[in-house]
Amino acid sequence: MNSMLESAAAEKPEPVAGPAPPDLGYVAELVARYGRTPDAVIPILQGLQEHYGYLPGESLLKVCEQTSITPAAIAGVSSFYDMFRHRPAGKSIVRVCRGTACHVTGAERVEDALRRHLNIAPGQDTDPAGLFTIEKVACLGCCTLAPVVKIDQLTFGHATPEKAPKIMDEFQVAQALGEAAPNTEELRAPATAKAQINVGLGSCCMAKGSDQLFAALQQSVARAGVEVTVKRVGCVGICHRTPLIEVIQPGKPVAFYEGLQAADARSLIYRHFGVRGLVRRVAGWWNRALDTLLLEQAVDYTPRHAVDVKQPEVAAFLDQQVHIATESFGQADPLDLDEYVAHGGFSALARCVGVDWKPGPPEHAGGKPLSALEIIDTVEASGLRGRGGAGFPTAAKWRMAAHQPGPVKYVIGNGDEGDPGAFMDRMLLESFPFRIIEGLAIAAVATGTHEGFLYIRHEYPLAVKRVRAAIKLLQKRGWLGERLLGADHSFTLSIKEGAGAFVCGEETALIASIEGHRGMPRLRPPFPVKQGLWNKPTVINNVETLAMVPWILRHGPEAFARYGTASSKGTKVFALAGNVRRGGLIEIPMGTTVREIVEEIGGGVAPGRRFKAVQIGGPSGGCLPARMADTPVDYESLRSAGAIMGSGGLVVLDDSACMVDIARYFLQFTQNQSCGKCTFCRIGTRRMLDILDQLCAGKGHTRDLAELEHLAKQVGAGSLCGLGKTAPNPVLTTLRYFHEEYEAHLRGRCPAGKCAALIQYRIKDNCTGCTLCAQSCPVDAIPATPYLRHAIAQEKCTRCDACRKVCPYNAVEVV
Amino acid sequence: MSNTFTITIDKHPVEVSPGQTVLAAAKSAGIDIPTLCFLERCGPLTSCLVCLVKINGKMVPSCGLVVEPGLVVESETIEVHEARRTSLELLFSDHVGDCLAPCNRLCPLRLNIPQMLRQIQEGAMDQAIRTACEALPLPGVLGRLCHHPCEQGCRRGQWDDPAGIRNLERTVADENQKTAEPYRPATKPASGKSVTIVGAGPAGLAATFHLLREGHAVTIADRHAEAGGSLRRAVDEHVLPRAVLDFEIRVLESMGARFKLNTELGRDVTLDGLLGGSDAVLVATGECSPEDCAAFELENSGASIKAHPDTWHTSRPGVFAAGRAVRVMNQLIKALGDGQAAASSLHRFLQGQAPARAARPFSSVMGRLNPEELKLFARGASAAGGTPCSSRAGFSRKEASLEASRCLHCDCRSSGNCALQTYAEKYHVDASRFRQQRRNFEQHLQPGGVIFEPGKCILCGICVKLTEMAAEPLGLAFIGRGFDVRIAAPFDHAIDEGLVKVAEDCVRHCPTGALSWKTRSFSLNAGKAHL
Repeated sequence: MNSMLESAAAEKPEPVAGPAPPDLGYVAELVARYGRTPDAVIPILQGLQEHYGYLPGESLLKVCEQTSITPAAIAGVSSFYDMFRHRPAGKSIVRVCRGTACHVTGAERVEDALRRHLNIAPGQDTDPAGLFTIEKVACLGCCTLAPVVKIDQLTFGHATPEKAPKIMDEFQVAQALGEAAPNTEELRAPATAKAQINVGLGSCCMAKGSDQLFAALQQSVARAGVEVTVKRVGCVGICHRTPLIEVIQPGKPVAFYEGLQAADARSLIYRHFGVRGLVRRVAGWWNRALDTLLLEQAVDYTPRHAVDVKQPEVAAFLDQQVHIATESFGQADPLDLDEYVAHGGFSALARCVGVDWKPGPPEHAGGKPLSALEIIDTVEASGLRGRGGAGFPTAAKWRMAAHQPGPVKYVIGNGDEGDPGAFMDRMLLESFPFRIIEGLAIAAVATGTHEGFLYIRHEYPLAVKRVRAAIKLLQKRGWLGERLLGADHSFTLSIKEGAGAFVCGEETALIASIEGHRGMPRLRPPFPVKQGLWNKPTVINNVETLAMVPWILRHGPEAFARYGTASSKGTKVFALAGNVRRGGLIEIPMGTTVREIVEEIGGGVAPGRRFKAVQIGGPSGGCLPARMADTPVDYESLRSAGAIMGSGGLVVLDDSACMVDIARYFLQFTQNQSCGKCTFCRIGTRRMLDILDQLCAGKGHTRDLAELEHLAKQVGAGSLCGLGKTAPNPVLTTLRYFHEEYEAHLRGRCPAGKCAALIQYRIKDNCTGCTLCAQSCPVDAIPATPYLRHAIAQEKCTRCDACRKVCPYNAVEVV
Repeated sequence: MSNTFTITIDKHPVEVSPGQTVLAAAKSAGIDIPTLCFLERCGPLTSCLVCLVKINGKMVPSCGLVVEPGLVVESETIEVHEARRTSLELLFSDHVGDCLAPCNRLCPLRLNIPQMLRQIQEGAMDQAIRTACEALPLPGVLGRLCHHPCEQGCRRGQWDDPAGIRNLERTVADENQKTAEPYRPATKPASGKSVTIVGAGPAGLAATFHLLREGHAVTIADRHAEAGGSLRRAVDEHVLPRAVLDFEIRVLESMGARFKLNTELGRDVTLDGLLGGSDAVLVATGECSPEDCAAFELENSGASIKAHPDTWHTSRPGVFAAGRAVRVMNQLIKALGDGQAAASSLHRFLQGQAPARAARPFSSVMGRLNPEELKLFARGASAAGGTPCSSRAGFSRKEASLEASRCLHCDCRSSGNCALQTYAEKYHVDASRFRQQRRNFEQHLQPGGVIFEPGKCILCGICVKLTEMAAEPLGLAFIGRGFDVRIAAPFDHAIDEGLVKVAEDCVRHCPTGALSWKTRSFSLNAGKAHL
């Protein structure tokens, strides 16, 4: 997303045109909070942006006056990260997700429609009235709801161009009603009631209204006066059916419901719990009558949302999964520390720090204490490798760090998941914050480290909120800080929020970012385990890797190594999305084949469509064709096929996807996210993109394909960091497996009918002249000629697909 | 530290000390790994990536990699050179600016015209004379008869009239002739090789000039009683006064040329005979009929001697041919250029190398300017229209200075003094390989005399680092991200406001022409640090 860069460039000559000079008193407050050292620059800028909505130039000067941050540093940093704006934005920000899943389901058309609806001129990002600013976001991580639009705090899933006006109306109504998102984040007393309703409250679920449902259920329970705990639980994984709730009643089978809305809450409560006592019954009757009057429909309509867990579909989705990183998924309150402990939480860490552990379940109490070396040996025996993508053996990293002389070392949990089409880390952070903290603390103990950071991208506000709350809870209990779990090992942990730069997932860039610099990677070696944060030895692990560590220590390395293949042990969490019927978050043993994932777990592509390819590993990964669907998912098999494990985005593509367009999409992404430091990545990816743009515009030359491949190989070999080295993968794999599609583009044809410049919409003979298409055309390219066959003015047509979708007679074709 | 160890570079053992970089190690072994972003005191910036070497199957920037025992490095291999070349070609695909001005590139004799014009403008006629006489075999003749392709390419012509380059050339030559001690072009020490040139016309004289400069002994045989060929016989006195031609032939003689007049090939001498007396022969006799060819005992193709188009080598080893003896050419400058090119091929032959056409000097090319860009260049030039020139008297010095001041100086101030250009030449870079739509040319002229041309900046980061190390109050920063990163002073300040302390240092170490001084002698910005 470079709208900020574009705007920064566009605005340069004119001074910031704020209506009134901003009050700069807030600067001092921020400086007091974050300090005067150079590493405070990003938090201070984030604070300014939150306060003013942008970064007023005067405030930046003020920061330089009051701190040791230099003008050059603040100018460099504030123009590097996507989240910072240098000029005022509209009152509301419309964020259009451009993640992979959103891209393949038509995000571009949605954005066009929103721009048209809001009257935002090309090249501009704000409407004339200054009410709405439209931004592209790399990925909101709600891939199963694709395409996704987020306006301020409200998320709209499954957006279409036709729905654009409706989305804006809904947002304005919600705004007018002052509808704030219900608070799902306050800490509650532990559950006492026997009956329980679990509501999945991950970001995806909330985007589909589970937060409203959660609040409504609480209200209904209170009104009905029944003894039921409405419980917040983490991500349920079955994202394609959210909001998902689970009703647990003693002596009764567990009931699942999908797709419920807030309005259904009351009827659900009555259906399951009835109402006891006369007064309550009267109150209940009265409420029900009111409901009937108000809703003018049958109250009791919950049964059609009930899900049978034995239903083959759900069973297929769940049966092949093994939950290690996602242990107790959909059952545990993310922030209920006692519940975490009751399920064995922190017993692994307790052994590591040698604490006799009473609070947990008896089988985990007083386990044999582990020395630092034993911890590392155990992790080594499990075969755990980094889940961030490259698959470096975790124990080897820890061992190197442990051997570095102290006393100052750091551990960092990398939660800067930026791959479009991936949302595993977000889900883990939102649903299992304690587990990740425990994993990081174990890494700290094993390596003799006393300070840690969790680096989380700011696009995941709920994850930040929950991890922050979890840290507070642990500090309050005295389990984090001076004495880790009460033992003689100090460990302080803080959160560093990213500011919108995919490259910061690269470990040296991440370090630069924490230190308060532009997130530009440096040459490795020296590796961070030797010279990392502030030049001290630093272990950086992906949060998914960390989430697996407690399980390994509790169940033993053999239990973990039992899953997986010879060189890739255990499980991997994937975000399954794209053109697949059952998208969601899955954890599967390594070695599961692509076919099993797509067809058995994901239920295949939509009826009438053909499974064409999977994109694994996001912008660093590659596209594997359907004919290679028997490739097992492990580090080595994927690499030899030209893809990589990556962080775990798995986007299914059907025959409506154009592979040249997919390659272009990913290159656009990496090109946008390139830090701009090294020649190969900064210019090389741009030149590759130029060639792909020309192919998609039908202006390719025969020699382009060879040149593209040559350049791709050079960029892959020559780039400084992983981002550039892997950026050509989507191009190289599509060139390798879908060469014929590239050749078709050379001849001016897009077989999938996706590339706008290469296709035309035509109206066939069977048109009845109903004018529906003319009415729906956003650019008036179809004259309304009742009862006559319609015609499309090609020079006006933007290929938005609206006419084809609206035509009841299938009379619109793409040629 | 004495605990040195050995690494392997290109299969040779190299003794290194701990902490040394691979770049330094290679340098100590006499291997020139190209660098653009490297400046020792800045530490490795690893941005340009032209210093790649291959280690363990991976390309790594040698400037940042510290040696370890047992390291095996590949540097001078096809694959590594290909990677370095790609890096350079990518930089050029986003490089806005010409190393050499179009006039210079279009001149078959590669006269550095903008430099000569700057010298004329400043009144430094002696230096202008040297510039012209070092490049041109017959400056006074060319100053009157040249078809001046330079003026066709002159960007001033896009504005009003091109700069009067030919007339200025004539002025310089005439001024030289007027001086008591006319300039004698420098020649290299004697090579011990000798060449006989047959034909003292334009092509032959140009070849003579070039070979003499290379230090070879040159004898010119001509069947006429006087040297000059068609210049003497086919040009009117009022167009080319004989005194000018005689003077320029005398200059060649002063450089060591020996003329053997009234000597005809095929009648007085044979090729065999000539080859017996010298190491090589160049035939530049003008038009050759098949009968002439037969008399010379050379293969013919149609109405001329058969010679290889890229080497000027004829069917007989050691015999070259040039000018109208080989192909029809109606323009004087073409004949001179051909003679010079043939001589350069012959020179390679004399050195024991395969004869070949000399590579064109490398230049980045930005093509036609848009009106906005033209305005930028016109800022520094005189607004006057073309100065009329009397064909008899030529320009006065004052007129010459005025005319020269009309030059837009659209060449690069750092040309000849630019690491990017040097390595592009060395690595045979195709500057247009990956070129797409180019950015606009920009030039920020700073009051302090620093000129910043963002289109030439390769974002090496040296100036950013130097300002940071010097604790400049404002300094310079990378602004933006990715392809759009630019160097700028913070908060929209001008570049030189960020260079209060270290402007001199930054300009000196800028590896390209992105930072330069407005005027620093006539060969602008000589003395940049890296070369």
